[in-house]
Amino acid sequence: MKRIFLSMLAVSVLVFSSCSKDDTPTTGVTAPATYKFERAGSSTVSFSGQTTRILMAEELVSALKDPLKTTEALNGMFAHAEGVNDFPDADLNASSKNIHSKTAASKDYFSSNTTEANAIKAKFEAWITAQVDEVFPNWDVDAEVGVAGKIQEAGGGSTRYVNGKGLELNQAFAKSLIGGLMTDQILNNYLSVSVLDEASNVSDNDNDVLITDKNYTTMEHKWDEAYGYLYGAEVDATIPVLGADSFLNKYVNSVDSDDDFAGIANDIYEAFKLGRAAIVAKDYEVRDAQANIIREAVSKVIAIRAVYYLQTGKESLSTDKAAAFHDLSEGFGFIQSLRFTRSASTNQPHLPVAEIEAFLGVLMDGNGFWSVSADALDQISTRIASVYGFTVAEAAN
Amino acid sequence: MFKKIATLLIVSIVIISCSGSSDGPSGTTDNFDREAMLSNLANNIIVPAFADFKTKIEGLKSSAETFSQTPDQTNLDALRQAWFNAYKTWQHVAMFEIGKAEELQFVYFFNIYPLTVADVETNIANGTYDLNHVNNHDAQGFPALDYLLYGIGANDTEILVKYTTDANAANYKKYITDIVAKMDEIIEAIVNDWNGAYKNSFITSSGNTATSSLNKFVNDYIFYYEKRLRANKFGIPAGNFSTNSLPEKVEAFYKQNISKELALEALTAVQNVFTGKAYNGSTTGESFKTYLENLGRNDLVTLITNQFNTAKAQINTLDNNFYQQINTDNNQMTMAYDELQKAVVLLKVDMLQAFNVSVDYVDADGD
Repeated sequence: MKRIFLSMLAVSVLVFSSCSKDDTPTTGVTAPATYKFERAGSSTVSFSGQTTRILMAEELVSALKDPLKTTEALNGMFAHAEGVNDFPDADLNASSKNIHSKTAASKDYFSSNTTEANAIKAKFEAWITAQVDEVFPNWDVDAEVGVAGKIQEAGGGSTRYVNGKGLELNQAFAKSLIGGLMTDQILNNYLSVSVLDEASNVSDNDNDVLITDKNYTTMEHKWDEAYGYLYGAEVDATIPVLGADSFLNKYVNSVDSDDDFAGIANDIYEAFKLGRAAIVAKDYEVRDAQANIIREAVSKVIAIRAVYYLQTGKESLSTDKAAAFHDLSEGFGFIQSLRFTRSASTNQPHLPVAEIEAFLGVLMDGNGFWSVSADALDQISTRIASVYGFTVAEAAN
Repeated sequence: MFKKIATLLIVSIVIISCSGSSDGPSGTTDNFDREAMLSNLANNIIVPAFADFKTKIEGLKSSAETFSQTPDQTNLDALRQAWFNAYKTWQHVAMFEIGKAEELQFVYFFNIYPLTVADVETNIANGTYDLNHVNNHDAQGFPALDYLLYGIGANDTEILVKYTTDANAANYKKYITDIVAKMDEIIEAIVNDWNGAYKNSFITSSGNTATSSLNKFVNDYIFYYEKRLRANKFGIPAGNFSTNSLPEKVEAFYKQNISKELALEALTAVQNVFTGKAYNGSTTGESFKTYLENLGRNDLVTLITNQFNTAKAQINTLDNNFYQQINTDNNQMTMAYDELQKAVVLLKVDMLQAFNVSVDYVDADGD
């Protein structure tokens, strides 16, 4: 039965893809070999603001593991103001960009939902505060049920620093940022029709009207900014090698390295190239189709990693608490990140927001990771996997 | 800042020039009588509203002069009342930044807030100032009076001291009459223009071009709603554009307990223009609403009408004092903002598409 269903799926995929293949030649849009686009001999691609934010996030995430840091210093890195010496890197200090203002800040999800956006930002702020107030003072204390502190992985492994519920707040922060910053900005802002086609963007792009003093149209630039949130830390972003940051770029690579999902990284890269080429060719149908491919694939990456970490955490829960807490902390962040995924058919996250919140509630219920059951982890894993279109077994290995 | 405005201007010129060329000579493709709409707007809303506002400003001016001659509690109360009456009526004309009001950039002389108190105090200490100077946009108008009538002392006795026994009392009084005189001068010029040739040229400029009064008016309307109402009255103080909330940026910060009433008045004015409701009465005429109906977009009329009402209902749940509201439960404030924002999309995307009018301003989203 399952097989019949799958083969029906396969046929329908074939039908769909043959349709789109029919479309492609008539419009004449083909993706270039690399993400390289030029006008009059010079590049039209720019995403320095995205690179800056990825670098700021790297600094902040490593500072979250420095017990000498104050709340003020960490908040300064989160909500940097131009010219303030929040970072070791002078270029970042000089920048007018910051992470905070772009967290849970996409046009489609949050422009008329600022109340929830503020609540999400407040979560990130609360993790920073709790890291400083609860975990840093207990840096040399052994963690126990209800007591923040250090806990070492078995066999002389890494030491993890957790709150009273076994949650590594730095991991919660970092993995939630993959959704709240990168994924949200890519899927729900820069690839959105509401942003790409805003104001006179279409007629400007149709008539090659460039932004003053720039070599690109607004629409081209918006698409490139989406690209930058994924590939902005690459040495040569025209040909990404992946693993270039600690955020989305890294985990697209991780998922792609799993044989069950091999090729997903290339699908995303190809869709970015073709969509950008479609903007140059002024073919907005092809563009939007690529945006949807990216939305589904990036959403799936988030969901796969959520399930992967819940399952690996579950495996070591009884034998190696520190290893389990580390995995579950990453899983916690990836579940939070599901809030920012986007189904191409509903233009909403694949799961109801309340259900995502409920998952987080289950993980933190009672004594948190000290008391969470394997059964609960399996239930959450199964639900996520089925909604995002893969199996727990595929994600877990 | 100026560089940014200049870039914006250049961008808008580019937009205007290209949309102008692609729209063709007239650009109108429907059979709606746009001129009738402009006529209703001008004759039954804009001109009567400006006339009423002028009366209120004259009342304010006379109260200010009386107070300046005899600065006592009775005259302070009367001046405050005149200020409040005029401030409420301002909410009905603030969106009409077209014609002479646009040329004079009238908002600079009436309602730039938050006020820069230091500039006000420096001006008063110096005794000489140029109210036309860009530095003084945030040192005059209703916000300056708000400070001078309510914020300059801890209580009425202390406030009256500033105008009686203070070493600078004469300058304090003069500052009040000067900024009110400036308001009067500006509104006089605007009313004269509407009563002269401008009204007819406004009404007959009904084509669909970047500079036609219809396109400009509908853009001004949406700009007002998005920036001056949604952002200035709600979003900025609630902290939606900053790291933290900024409650001290509410409208009428020193009087405080009228911020809600002013905001509701502004939203009512926006609703009245949408439905073409006469300023002095309840009759309605041709408007954005009837235009949409003519285009078969009753669905959109319903959505916009309902969204305005939903926003209004949420605003009604707020504390009279937005400063207080933000400090006690900012979620209620951002919920009001969110409901207001939902109508921005309906107006700026859906309604403009239905009218086949281009947006003539751009958001600077900071990237």
